[in-house]
Amino acid sequence: MKITTIKHVSGFDVARPVSIGMMLGIMLPLVLLPLLSIFVYGFGKGPGAFFSSLVAPEAVFALKLSVATSFWATVFNVVFGLFAAYVLSRYDFWGRNAVIVTISLPTAIPTAVAGFALLLLWGRYGMIGKFLSERQQIMFTPYAIILANIFVTFPLAFGVIKPVFDTMSRSLEEASATIGATRWQTFWHVTLPSLRGAIVSGALLTFARAVGEFGSTILVSGNLAGRTQTAPLYIFAKFNEGQIEAANAIAIVLALLSFIIFSVLFFARDWLEFAQEA
Amino acid sequence: MALAMDRDLHVSWAPDRSSGVAASVRGISKRFRKSRVLEDISFDVAEGESLVLLGASGSGKTTILRIIAGLEQPDSGRVILHGKDVTDLPARERGVGVIFQAYALFPRMTVEKNIAYGLKIRHRPRKEKRETVDRLIKLVQLEQHRKKYPWQLSGGQQQRVAIARTLAYKPQVLLFDEPFGALDAQTRVHLRREIRTLLRQVRVPSIFITHDQEEALELGDRIAVLNDGHLEQVGTPDEVYNHPATEYVATFLGAANLLLGVATGGSVEIGTARLPADKETRRFRDGQSVKLVFRPEDVRISQDANLPEGCRRLTNGVIEEVNFVGAYERLTVRLDLTHRKGDTDSLYQVTINTPEKMTGVPIMVTRPKPEANALRFKNGDRVAIGLTSFSVLPNYTLARPR
Repeated sequence: MKITTIKHVSGFDVARPVSIGMMLGIMLPLVLLPLLSIFVYGFGKGPGAFFSSLVAPEAVFALKLSVATSFWATVFNVVFGLFAAYVLSRYDFWGRNAVIVTISLPTAIPTAVAGFALLLLWGRYGMIGKFLSERQQIMFTPYAIILANIFVTFPLAFGVIKPVFDTMSRSLEEASATIGATRWQTFWHVTLPSLRGAIVSGALLTFARAVGEFGSTILVSGNLAGRTQTAPLYIFAKFNEGQIEAANAIAIVLALLSFIIFSVLFFARDWLEFAQEA
Repeated sequence: MALAMDRDLHVSWAPDRSSGVAASVRGISKRFRKSRVLEDISFDVAEGESLVLLGASGSGKTTILRIIAGLEQPDSGRVILHGKDVTDLPARERGVGVIFQAYALFPRMTVEKNIAYGLKIRHRPRKEKRETVDRLIKLVQLEQHRKKYPWQLSGGQQQRVAIARTLAYKPQVLLFDEPFGALDAQTRVHLRREIRTLLRQVRVPSIFITHDQEEALELGDRIAVLNDGHLEQVGTPDEVYNHPATEYVATFLGAANLLLGVATGGSVEIGTARLPADKETRRFRDGQSVKLVFRPEDVRISQDANLPEGCRRLTNGVIEEVNFVGAYERLTVRLDLTHRKGDTDSLYQVTINTPEKMTGVPIMVTRPKPEANALRFKNGDRVAIGLTSFSVLPNYTLARPR
């Protein structure tokens, strides 16, 4: 990214150090210090303590469960987001705008409400849940976590992919059709490659958001250690039990994970969007 | 740049030579919502011929192209390619090659892959793909660029890739949508010649659409002039330029002078002037109002009464303005025409604008440089005016109220 600096000021620009300082001064206690404290406390008792709390069976399970449930939620939401974006940008139908708004809605709904809503639908006495047998119940299982993750991260991939579909030149697809390609061949060889950047960004955003999901997960999962306890729930549980080191170790892993994901999103932008010009 | 000659290309791409007609559009009409876009359009493109659809923006030319390609459905009418009615076939089954305005090359594919795309989706064997790509890359002279991506190529190179990409699957007809619209003036002229040469080699019938009359005259074996959804005239460049069928064609293709008159006894009467036009007025009845249309370069002027051979005298006039415009000289000459009794001012119209109202009618005249140098005129000179060529068209606008 190229930065254009202010050039219309002559001599020493006082506003520069003052404004930069002010910005950092506000960010420091709000964002930077909290993040720093995780690392300071986490390694406070030495790396040994950190690693032993990291490899505790329950901790490992929580991390694995978080990654697995987030992965499947991501797969579903990217595939469905792609499909929904295709349908909504290619076809006009009655109620199209209402569908677009509805798809985007979960961003604005408090996650606890989302979890509660899922319970009301799928719970043992819920609208659908009451028709399921004991063995088919999905609440308080890992599937419930995936379901909650899907609900909460639903609009993310869709939101990234849809604008790319909208702005994509139709003549590429028309060219492919006149050359003799079927719809599927056109989609596979022409449309999809142009969406690569959007798909990767959408997937990373969805995954990052799903891994950290707490509000809905705690309601639908039952928070059973070693069975349905995800990493954020583990942090909360250990903190409540007073095991700060255990909570802290996982917190560090989650913080690093999101840090890596957002670095990729930020620095790999050019690579992801390459050849969009031309 | 001269294009590589490749003799074995000739015969293979002419699927059906016997019928002579490669593409045919029959009575196509199309509406978008309430506005009429095309009305009863019919024309043929012969084998190996190139036809230019010429029209202003909004004349419906792009819609015709899209209907032939199968990207748009006509409300009525048929599209016939090599004797087969394809009106109900989807775009992909028509075997038509479209060169889109911005070329529409696939951005994530190299030049080679773009060209091979048509064969890839047809699941052709690898060997055939390689041979075809090699041959076409050589034909369009992009050997050094085969591994490049579209955004690394110039506009002209992208266009050649787009053409090669369609030639790979042996299209029945090539459709060019404003092929030079995105290029600067110099490249445009250059590429136009290049495409002409290329098309002569591959002998695929082609339809171009453009709003540029110069481009139309140079590219087309025939030109179809389109105005507001209907065809005004279809003919060779010579026909549409020298014998325009309508006023629109006359004024859209190059500059034209336009005088209103009446056909009487084998001549055109314009005010007090009489222009002998036995052949040209034969289709009009006596007293019918007509339009006399002639090009600035078809006017001959002389200071004595001796106009050159084969030139018919119109009237006299006064030189009003002399301009040198590079390759030729442009003069404004005011004709000594006085209105006959009963005529209105609106009877005389000229395509060049004159702000002041004067008696007589100004016309535009151009002369080639040698002639302008040999015989110089200055403002105020009186001259005799003759026409070497002109068209007489019916004047429907005036005929109706009478």
